[in-house]
Amino acid sequence: MTQRRATIHIRMLAGACLMILLVLPVSGVLLSYNFQQSIHTAFDERLESLLNVVLASLEYDRVKGSLPPPDVPGEPRFSRIFSGWYWQVEGPEQTIASRSLWDERLSLADRDSLVRHDAIGPNGDRLRVVQRQVTLPGMDQPIHVMVAAPLHSIQAEMDQFNQLLWVSLAVLALILLAGLAMQLHWGLAPLRSIQSDLAHVENGDRDRLNTDLPAELTGLAGAMNRVLERDQSLIERSRQTADNLAHALKTPIAVIGTLAGRLRDDQRITLQSEIQRMDAAIRHHLSRAAAAGPSALGTPRNLAETLQPLIQGFERLAQRRQLECNFIIPETISVRTDPQDLQEMVGNLVDNAAKWASQHFKLVVEQSTDGILFRVIDDGPGMSAEARAAVMERGVKLDESSAGSGLGLAIARDLAALYGGDLHLEQAEDGGIEARLRLPDRPHSHD
Amino acid sequence: MKLLLVEDDQALSRELSSALEETGIIVECTETGSDADFQVMTQSYDVIILDLGLPDGNAVTWLESWRHRGMDVPVLILTARERWSDKAAGFSAGADDYVTKPFETAEVLFRLRALVRRSHNHAHPQIQVGNLTLDTQLGQLTHCGMPVSLTAQEYRLMERLMHAFPRIVSRQELAEYTYESDHEPDSNVIDVQISRLRRKLGATIIETLRGRGYRLTDPGDTQ
Repeated sequence: MTQRRATIHIRMLAGACLMILLVLPVSGVLLSYNFQQSIHTAFDERLESLLNVVLASLEYDRVKGSLPPPDVPGEPRFSRIFSGWYWQVEGPEQTIASRSLWDERLSLADRDSLVRHDAIGPNGDRLRVVQRQVTLPGMDQPIHVMVAAPLHSIQAEMDQFNQLLWVSLAVLALILLAGLAMQLHWGLAPLRSIQSDLAHVENGDRDRLNTDLPAELTGLAGAMNRVLERDQSLIERSRQTADNLAHALKTPIAVIGTLAGRLRDDQRITLQSEIQRMDAAIRHHLSRAAAAGPSALGTPRNLAETLQPLIQGFERLAQRRQLECNFIIPETISVRTDPQDLQEMVGNLVDNAAKWASQHFKLVVEQSTDGILFRVIDDGPGMSAEARAAVMERGVKLDESSAGSGLGLAIARDLAALYGGDLHLEQAEDGGIEARLRLPDRPHSHD
Repeated sequence: MKLLLVEDDQALSRELSSALEETGIIVECTETGSDADFQVMTQSYDVIILDLGLPDGNAVTWLESWRHRGMDVPVLILTARERWSDKAAGFSAGADDYVTKPFETAEVLFRLRALVRRSHNHAHPQIQVGNLTLDTQLGQLTHCGMPVSLTAQEYRLMERLMHAFPRIVSRQELAEYTYESDHEPDSNVIDVQISRLRRKLGATIIETLRGRGYRLTDPGDTQ
């Protein structure tokens, strides 16, 4: 058996899961990065506007020749000590700073233009600093003005956003998975319906597939149905041909046989043995032509029911021939053999037993571990081991007056082989023959 | 023994009937089911040979309808078909035995005689009444152990009387079962045959019951 391929269900599920696991985290990372960028830009802009506020409130006192501490409005955190919100003005002679800095000072970036950079605050905070160099009216030297704010204030915002982002992405993933499951369920429903249809056909509840399916599958189901029908009609046709041929050939042979009966003994014997050869060839080949063999969808049928007409016939035959017969067939056994093939096998064996039996014959069916065992037992004269081995060879007959006795066995054996079974002859307890036909539960072709 | 052969193949019908007639059996042939139907309903037979492959519809259907109408004559099926389902269908329709084509006349004869014997409730192939023994398989009558030479017609009369014993057989029945349908004789022809048999086997062997028919003399009465 080849390695089992993954089901369509699993393929689609795996594909979609891979997409979800790949696409969602990447988009999450991108979103998070972009958000961070815009938060930072907004933070810097806010710091710059605060810087402008500080700048606007600065005024050089020409009289004292110094910078009085400005009164910066709108940001009380500049007054809270070590709040992380600081400003600092550094002139040539003096440095003034917000109350929040207390007696600490921020380090100055040694550049002229507008500078934005990260720094470490007096109590270890990470700060964002915006610094600008200006020259106030009345001063001949430029001063450096700095505004700083703690990064943790935007970090919290970032964290909050990220948390929200990942939660939403997770929810989205779950929704996608649920949607996917529904899609799989709905989208694959026709396939499942074909699968259950096939099971029904196999079980014999139905003889064809339902073609009320989506367009992609109607063709498939239709083709399958045509194959099933063609299979059946081919078997029927070859059986019909075999029948017609049998009828067309055998009647003239029967005429010759009847005529031969009137000839002198030596001529009669020669002619009759030729007739038997013809008959054997016809029976052998036609029985093969009429055999269905194991089909793709071997439908299980109840064994007792399939054999019922045969058994009725043999019971009547036995009664007429004043023989006793017994048929022991468990009601529960079912077989996947073609009913006609099964009737041929069992019919030939029981017919043979009925032909040789002196008082009684019987058929006992048993379910064994490796299949079904048919035991056909008669109390006739029996055969030696060599004769038993030889009798099933095609055309070999033990007794020329009992036409075709060995042939029936050979036909049954050939049919059994077609189903992967076998036929053995054994000595029965009371001296006759016990034919043991074994058919596997699941027929496999042995052609 | 009187037999109806229903066989559509003329050559086979001709050969089989002449082979059977040689053994003293009266054979009447029909080729179609509907002809056979007419014969079965209007004539009396000991046994019928029916070919399953008749041209005008299914032989099994005809057989079924005969059985349905209460016809209890044993039927031997002649079949070229190998399928057991067909044979089984024949049996469920009411056939009693079968012979497959090609057959040997001896086999057909063996089956026919066994069927007729069974239909008269004789289990053993040899029927014995007093000193008379009829070997149904050999078609031979012996009297006190000595074979008796009989014409075909005489044999048929004795066969009927032996099979029927201890029942009384009417002249009508003897005429129907031992003569061809188109040649049923006057009752005095049968009287002549019976008196010939008495000459061969002894005067007391067959008793005449006035207005009822003939019967073999019960050995218990004569001794």
